[in-house]
Amino acid sequence: MSDVSPPLSLELSIPSEFGYERVVREAVASFARRIGLNSERVEDLKTAVSEACLNAIEHGNAQMPEMRVGVNCVWENDGLTIRVLDHGLKRYAGHVAPCIVCKVHGEAPPRGMGLYLIAQLVDTCGFETSPDGGNVLCMRMHTRSMA
Amino acid sequence: MANVSHDADHEERVVELHLPSRLGYEKVAMDAAASIARRMGFSTDRIEGLRTALAEAITNAIEHGNAHDAGTRVLVILTVRPSELVVSVADQGCKPIDQSQLAPAPRIEDSFARADKGGWGIWLIRELMDKVEFTTAPTGGNQVRMVIYLEKQP
Amino acid sequence: MLDDELHVHIREREGVAIIDLVGDVTTFAEEKINGAYNEVSRKGARNILLNFRQNDYINSAGIAILIGVVTEVNRNNQRLAVSGLSQHFQKIFRMVGLAQYIDIYQDEDEAIRGLTAAMA
Repeated sequence: MSDVSPPLSLELSIPSEFGYERVVREAVASFARRIGLNSERVEDLKTAVSEACLNAIEHGNAQMPEMRVGVNCVWENDGLTIRVLDHGLKRYAGHVAPCIVCKVHGEAPPRGMGLYLIAQLVDTCGFETSPDGGNVLCMRMHTRSMA
Repeated sequence: MANVSHDADHEERVVELHLPSRLGYEKVAMDAAASIARRMGFSTDRIEGLRTALAEAITNAIEHGNAHDAGTRVLVILTVRPSELVVSVADQGCKPIDQSQLAPAPRIEDSFARADKGGWGIWLIRELMDKVEFTTAPTGGNQVRMVIYLEKQP
Repeated sequence: MLDDELHVHIREREGVAIIDLVGDVTTFAEEKINGAYNEVSRKGARNILLNFRQNDYINSAGIAILIGVVTEVNRNNQRLAVSGLSQHFQKIFRMVGLAQYIDIYQDEDEAIRGLTAAMA
């Protein structure tokens, strides 16, 4: 891992179609390994990033393939920040622990645990305001939790 | 967020990556491209070829086009079509590609004489991909456009 | 244009119906997993093992499919176990609470021992 260096960044964008979140997953994992995250944190990040992209594809961009999901990763000395951006057709802020009992008993939809998982897997996460009205989910992993 | 224009062809999906001009980060695009190629149904052989060709194209962009300038980026665009994958790599063109390097095949004897023993990147790309074009990117940099066809599997 | 990457096989070992899930478990897996579950259930399976292999990618949509299977398993008084999950996905299964409903084993042999002991 390099120490005193300018921020290293990666930006990517994918169509809003299920399956393309895998490309982000592979790219971000590769970037994270490169900057020195340990393998457990890389796995956490892969799941968190996939879930963020799935939400952006399904909700933010309503599965319209021509709408783009953007992913920006910035690596600075204090940690890795990843933002997932969509066009905000639908808001999906707020995450509560999923009630597995309700889900198993059919009282709650089986889906809807993405944001909960993300919150569990990264060090901090939250929505930011975007000037163009899209959803921006910002996820951070601190350097001290990576090694 | 980046805007990517689409033509009338709805059977086309575009993935765009902007990489830092730092050696080692070509791996990010190689993994992304391999992930797409695998799911398109390319054979392991062809995917390995794609990885190598892409690595050569990006390291060329970092070393020559962008001259290792940390302020520059390498743009990789992956276009998925029903029967082909188009991969284009563009740099910010501080330094145009040496046209003599675009010659079809280097000779190993010449390579011994070269200080860097290099010059194989472009030849490898041509060997491994089905179609290769060297052009100027809309942004003014060098651009390599490489295509692999799905039906040409061994 | 992009194919899914899950292969599903059904077999039986010591009275346990094993569903091998080789590859990724995402939204595209629904038909295959539900199909395999329905098939072993039709044949009267009481103990079912979902044996994961090479599962680099399981997402919340995939977990939702498994929750659906748990719902059916409870309704039909069957027993469900999983094996072969990576450490990461074992953690994810615990996070969402699936571990309350599914016995998690490290590998197939351990799962067969656990399930057959419970049958005895």
